[in-house]
Amino acid sequence: MPLNIDWQQILLHWMNLAILTGGLYFLLYKPVKDFMAKREAHYRSLDEEASAKLAEAERIKEERQAKLDSADEEIRQMKAKSQQAVQKSAEEQLAQAQDQARQIVAHAQMEAENSRERVLKESQRELRKLAAQATKQLAFHADPFDQFLDLAEEEDDYAQ
Amino acid sequence: MKHRKKGLVVWIAVVLALLAGALLVGSPGRSESVQETMRDAVLHDVNQVSLFGLKAVNPGLISAFLITAVLLLAAVLIRLLVIPRFRYMPGRFQMVLEEAVGLFDGMARNSSPHRNRFMGAYIFAAGSFIFVGTLFELLGLQAITVHGHPITLPAPLSDVNAAIALGTLSYLVILSGGVVSNGVKGVGRTLKEFSLPISMSFRLFGALLSGLLVTELVYYYVNLSFVLPVVVGVLFTLLHALIQTYVLTMLVSMYYGEVSEPAEPKQKKKKAIAKT
Repeated sequence: MPLNIDWQQILLHWMNLAILTGGLYFLLYKPVKDFMAKREAHYRSLDEEASAKLAEAERIKEERQAKLDSADEEIRQMKAKSQQAVQKSAEEQLAQAQDQARQIVAHAQMEAENSRERVLKESQRELRKLAAQATKQLAFHADPFDQFLDLAEEEDDYAQ
Repeated sequence: MKHRKKGLVVWIAVVLALLAGALLVGSPGRSESVQETMRDAVLHDVNQVSLFGLKAVNPGLISAFLITAVLLLAAVLIRLLVIPRFRYMPGRFQMVLEEAVGLFDGMARNSSPHRNRFMGAYIFAAGSFIFVGTLFELLGLQAITVHGHPITLPAPLSDVNAAIALGTLSYLVILSGGVVSNGVKGVGRTLKEFSLPISMSFRLFGALLSGLLVTELVYYYVNLSFVLPVVVGVLFTLLHALIQTYVLTMLVSMYYGEVSEPAEPKQKKKKAIAKT
């Protein structure tokens, strides 16, 4: 054969390459590839786990935020309600105070009226009495006018 | 500083002593001319080695068996001692192994996304064989020919039989991908590239043989055996190893992907009858 080509040796080379291919595949290529695939799966599962945890955390965060928002709304409503209650109570107290004041004023006015009437009645009675005395004096004394003035001064002093 | 100077002096003295020894001892004389050496490097018809006393074979076949034995032994040791200790945070050696496997696996996946399991394993083995086989010639292992002369075992692929074996086997692997994926159509697709086994075989043979011939030429003359082999031997061999590994594995994966690609179902010809 030209170039010393020998089919027997070519077949021996084939056999050698087949042994090498099979041997390297089972001893080296496959185990290393399997390990790499295993590691990839491990890290992928870790990644998926982390993603799931992240999603869960996001969900909890949103839930909490929603709760916070609703609590804020609740607080605002309660605040408004309490403000309304306070205002109502203040208004009631004011109305009560005004009512009391009105009652006091009315009472005072009534008392003042009573005392005025009493004083007036007393004054009239006194006047009648004085008139009766004056009449009596006029009837029994010479100068009734002087006696009247004296009596009036006495009454004045007495009143002071 | 003093220690370093002392070491330097010792090193130079050792080198000079070895040089003087080599020159004084001399050579037993050349058993063959440079023409014969070069011719035998190409044809391997003179300096053949006995295969377990059964048959005289080219030294490239012995090299190939040795490389397979070394690779399988290393694989067994790695499988037993290293792989069980693999960690998720890889060490240096683990990274090298993963990088090598990942490189060929990635090449197979990218070139042939439809079917790549067997092809990944094949190009991993072929790549390892070419790379280690090419670097093997740097070791300069000796063998005794059937005529009793010592010879240096060459890279296996500098033997035309090994190159033809690898080229044709690669072609068969490509063919198998076509047959498994597309049946008869796959065979047709593969046979279209009928020049592939020849081109792959002789590309490998030519590339490796040229390196071998240059090395033989350089080592034939004692005067060229200093300093020059560092460039010619080591650097060129390393480049060869990388380039040939890449070229063959890339070609195989590319053609495999091409022939194993599922055929698109034929669209029924629409009867485009113009109503106008």
